[in-house]
Amino acid sequence: MTAVLELHGVSKTYLDGTDEVHALRDVELTVEAGKMVAVMGPSGSGKSTLLTIAGALETATSGEVLVAGQPLAAMSRDERSRLRRRAIGYVFQDFNLLPGLTAAENVALPLELDGVGAGKARAAGLRALEDLGLADRAARFPDQLSGGERQRVAIARAVVGDRRLLLADEPTGALDSANGETVMRMLLAACKRGLAAVVVTHDAQLASWADRVVFIRDGRIVDRTAPRPGPESLLTGEPAR
Amino acid sequence: MSVAVQDRPLVLGGGHGGLPARRAVIRWAWRLFRREWRQQSLVLTMVALAVAATTVGLGFAGSAADPQAATFGTANRIATLGSTGAQADADVAALRAAFGTVEVIDHQTIPVPGSASGIDLRAQDPHGPFGRSMLRLGSGRYPQGPDEVAITEQVATLFRLTVGGTWDQGGRRRTVVGLVENPLNLRDRFALVAPGRLAPAGRTSVLLRVTDAQFRSVRRPDGMVTQQRNEQQDPATLGVLMLATVGLLFVGLLAAAGFTVMAQRRMRSLGMLGAIGASHRHVRLVVVANGAVIGVAGALTGAAAGYAAWVSLGPLMEPLLAHRVDRFHLPWLPLLGMALLAIVTAVGAAWWPARAAARVPVVAALSARPVPPRPAHRFALLGVVLLAAGLGAIVASRGDRAPYIVGGVLGIAAGLLLLAPMGIAGAGRTARFAPLAPRLALRDLARFRARSSAALAAITLAVGIAATIALSAAVAVAKAAVPAGGNMPADQLIVWLGPGGLDGPVPSLTPEQQTAARQQVDAIAAALHSTSVLPLQAAMDPDTPEPGGAEGRGRPVQQMGRPSLETVDGRTRRHYSSDDADPLFVATPELLRHYGIDPTGIAADTDIVSWRAGYDGYDIFPSRNSGWKPKVQQADLPTYTSLPGALITAHAMDTLKLTAVPGGWLIHAPDRLTQRQIDRAEQTASAAGLNIETRPTGADTARVAAYATATGIALALGVLAMTVGLIRAETARDLRTLTAAGAPRRTRRALTAATAGCLALLGAVIGTAGAYLALLAWHHRALHWLGHPPAASLLAILIGLPAVAYAGGWLLAGKEAPAVARQPLD
Repeated sequence: MTAVLELHGVSKTYLDGTDEVHALRDVELTVEAGKMVAVMGPSGSGKSTLLTIAGALETATSGEVLVAGQPLAAMSRDERSRLRRRAIGYVFQDFNLLPGLTAAENVALPLELDGVGAGKARAAGLRALEDLGLADRAARFPDQLSGGERQRVAIARAVVGDRRLLLADEPTGALDSANGETVMRMLLAACKRGLAAVVVTHDAQLASWADRVVFIRDGRIVDRTAPRPGPESLLTGEPAR
Repeated sequence: MSVAVQDRPLVLGGGHGGLPARRAVIRWAWRLFRREWRQQSLVLTMVALAVAATTVGLGFAGSAADPQAATFGTANRIATLGSTGAQADADVAALRAAFGTVEVIDHQTIPVPGSASGIDLRAQDPHGPFGRSMLRLGSGRYPQGPDEVAITEQVATLFRLTVGGTWDQGGRRRTVVGLVENPLNLRDRFALVAPGRLAPAGRTSVLLRVTDAQFRSVRRPDGMVTQQRNEQQDPATLGVLMLATVGLLFVGLLAAAGFTVMAQRRMRSLGMLGAIGASHRHVRLVVVANGAVIGVAGALTGAAAGYAAWVSLGPLMEPLLAHRVDRFHLPWLPLLGMALLAIVTAVGAAWWPARAAARVPVVAALSARPVPPRPAHRFALLGVVLLAAGLGAIVASRGDRAPYIVGGVLGIAAGLLLLAPMGIAGAGRTARFAPLAPRLALRDLARFRARSSAALAAITLAVGIAATIALSAAVAVAKAAVPAGGNMPADQLIVWLGPGGLDGPVPSLTPEQQTAARQQVDAIAAALHSTSVLPLQAAMDPDTPEPGGAEGRGRPVQQMGRPSLETVDGRTRRHYSSDDADPLFVATPELLRHYGIDPTGIAADTDIVSWRAGYDGYDIFPSRNSGWKPKVQQADLPTYTSLPGALITAHAMDTLKLTAVPGGWLIHAPDRLTQRQIDRAEQTASAAGLNIETRPTGADTARVAAYATATGIALALGVLAMTVGLIRAETARDLRTLTAAGAPRRTRRALTAATAGCLALLGAVIGTAGAYLALLAWHHRALHWLGHPPAASLLAILIGLPAVAYAGGWLLAGKEAPAVARQPLD
C-alpha cells in the first residue's frame, strides 16, 4: 500500500532563551493511504509538533519528511503552501473556521486558494457538506453553528478536493462524547475513502478507532500498538478489525 | 472507495491560485470589514475626516483659486490701449482683425467724496465672450439705453441709490435699472453702463485669448500695454493639497497603528488561513485588502460628507471670501487625486502590518503569541542617517532652495519617525526601576512595539509641527523686537495710497481726493500723538498707461531694480523683483530736510541721492529708459526697505520727463506703536481707501504659534485617546489576571495613565528635539535667534501634554468595557 506520510529520523529542537528544547527526537513513522494512526501522549510530549511538521507548518531540525512521496525539506515556502491546500487537510481542536465566511465558503476556500473557480469550488464544498449531513447549514456562519457542526464543517474543509493526508489535533477535545463519536466516525469514513489520517488525542477510547496507536513521550515514540476492537464497533455495528 | 486513487502522483505545480484565490481572499477581507467595522471606525473616521476637510478646503481654495478671474474673466490677456476716441476705435478694430474674438470694456473713474479710491464706471457687455463670468445681475435688469446704469450694493449704499431711482453724477443723470456685482470679487465697487455708452472713456481695455505666438506675430497698437494671466496652478489649491498630504501622512501613521492592532487580533484567523494552504501573499492580501476597503470607504464617506459641508458652508463664507461660491464648482481632478491618495495611504498603512503578519510562522499565528519585536537599532541607524541628511539639506538650502527645504523637512520627519521605536525600547528598559503599574505599561509598550511606535510617530509628528511653528514664531517675534533692519522702525508708520506701497500701482488723485486723504492721514497721526507727518512723492512716467481690469486703478511708479533675465519661447526678457529694487522717492526739500540733507549740497547733475554708492547693474523701470546710467550721490539715508532710501532729483525728473505724484505719508510716533494703535489706524485708513504699513509687532505670529501649540497638543491627545485604548485592549487578558491577583482599580487606572503619559512624554521630547534640530539647521548662521525660546509653548508641550495625557488616562480607565473583558470566540 502507498505510504502517504513518511517521517524518517525526524527531530525538532527549539531554542528557549539559551536552552535547547528537544520537541521531537529521531521519530520514525509511516502512514499508508486508507489508514488512521492515533498519536497519544502526555502534554508537552511533542504530539502537536509531530502534526505540525507532518502538515508542513513547521520544518524539522533534522530527518526527512515525505508527503505523497514529496520531500518537504526541498520545498520552498510557497510550495509548502500549495502542498497544504492541495494534499493536506487539517482539523483543529477549536474548529478554526474563518469568521465571516459561511460554512460552504469555508469548505470551498482551499479549492479557491488553489485557483478553482468560485462556482466549481462552491459546488465541491456543498457536496462535501452534504456527505457530512450539513447541507442545510451551508449558508450559516460559524457563529451560527453548534460546536459539533463546526467541527464537521472543519472536517469537510479538510477532505474537500484531492486530499491525501488528514491531520487532526484533538478533534474531539471541545466536543461532548456524542459529537466526539460522530466526528471520529467521519474521520474514519474519510480514511475509508483512501485518505491517510493522523489523529492526536488524549482519549484512549477514541484512539481505539485507529488502525494503529503510537505513544510519544519526551519527543520519542515509545510504543506502537494495533488497538483491540473498541466500543465504537458496538455503536457503529461494524465488525471489529 | 478505491485506494488506487492515492497512487496518482501529486502535482504541486506553480502559482498562487490566480484570480479565484485573490477573489476569495478579498471577499473574506470585505466580510471581516463588515463584521468588525466598529473596531476600525477610528481609522475609517480619520481617513474620512481627512478627505472631508480636503474637500471643503479644495472647495474654498478652488473658488478663490484664481483671483485673476475677477479681472481677466476667461481671457488670458488684458490689453490697455494708450489711445482714446477715434484712435481707440481704430486700435480695437485692428486687434479684432488680428485676433478674432475680443471684448472691449471702457472705464471711467468716478471720485468718491472723502475717499482716495474712486468707483469704476464701466461699459461692458454682460454677455461678452470673456467677461460674462465677471458680471451677475442681482435685481432689475442690465442697462441698455444711453441713460441707464446698474450699480453694485456698495455703490447704492454710498450714493443712497435704489433701483428705479436717478443717479446724478457730475451733471450726468442716469436711471438705475438694476443691481449688479462681480461674483468673482464682491469688493469690486463699480457701476455698469451698456457697451459703447461711455463717452469719452478714460481708458479702454480689451480682453483677449491668444497664444504667445499669435500675440507676437502681429503688430500691436502704439502705447498699448498688456497684462498676461498667470496660467500656472494657483497656490491656494497647491497649499491645500500639501496640507492634505501632511494630514494624510498623519492619518497614515495612525492607520498603521490601527492595522497593526487589527492584524494582531486576527492573527489566529490568519494562521488558520495559512494552515489550510494560503501562501504568504494571500495572508498579506487579507490585511492590504482591508486597508483598501477602509481607504475606499473613508474616501467615499469623506468626499460625501465634505461635499455636504461645502454645500452648506459655502454660501455662509461668501462675505468672508468676497466672492460668490458656486456649489458645483469644485476642483474635481485634485479632489479625485486626493481621494486616491487617501486610498493609497490606507493601503500603504496596511502594507507594513500585512508584511509582518505574513511573515509570522503559521504555528505562532495559530497560538496568537506576540511576535518578538525586531531590534530597534536597525531602524534607528536608518533614522539617524535620514535625520542627518535632512539637516544637511536644510543647511544647504540657504533658506531659499525649495527642493532642499522640502527634502530636508521630509528627511528630518522620516528620521524622527524611524527613531521612535528606539524611544519605546529605551522606555521599556527603564521599566524595572518603576512601580508595578508603570512597569507593566512600559513593558507592554515595548512588547507591542509595532503599534506603539506608529502611535508615537503620529504624536511626534503632531508635536513636531506645533513646536516648529512655536519656535519659528519666537524667532519672528525676536526679529521684530530688534531696533534695526526690516521695513521700518517700530515707531513709524506709512500711509500708502496704493495697496502695494510703491511696489504696486499708485492711484492718481484729484485735488479733492488729495485733500480728503490728507485729512484722514492727519486724523491717524493725531490719534498716534504724532510728532511729524512727511508727504512721500513718487516719480511716474506720464506716458505709462493705466493697466486694465478692476484691480488696475493706478499706475506703476519708477524704481531702480536689478534685472534677472528669463527666456520664454526663445525670447529673453528682463524680469524685476521687488526684493531687489529701490522705489524712487522724489527728493523734495521737505524730505531732504527730514533726513538732514542740505539741498544745496547736492550737485546739480546728481540724478539719485541714495544710501548706496551706485546703481551699477540696475535699471530704472518701468520706463523706456532702461539704458539710463544715473549719477549717484551717497547720503545718510535710511536702509530700511520701505523708507526713502533712494531719492530722484529734479534734474533726473526733468531729464527723464517724469512727474511727481503723491505716494503716501510717513508718520512718526513718539513711541513704539502698539498692536492696538496699529489696528485702529488700519480701520481708519481702510474706511478712507488708504493702506497702512508698520513694522510687524509679532503679535499675530505669537497668536498663530499659540493656536498651533494648542492644535498640536489636541491632535496628540486625540492620537493618544485612540491608540492607548487599542494598546490596553490588547492586554485585556493581562488586566484580568492582574485583577484576579488582587490588584485594585487604582492599579488599572495607573496602568492606562502611565501608558498614555509615557507615549505623550516621548512624543513631546522627540517632536520638540526634532523641531529644535530643524531650526538650528535653518538658522545655523544666526543661532542667536533661537536664544528666545517660547517658554509657554514649550512648557505646554513638554509638561502640559504628558500631564494631561496621564490625567486623561487615569480618569477614563476607571471602568473596564465589557467588550474588553470578553475574548471573542470563532
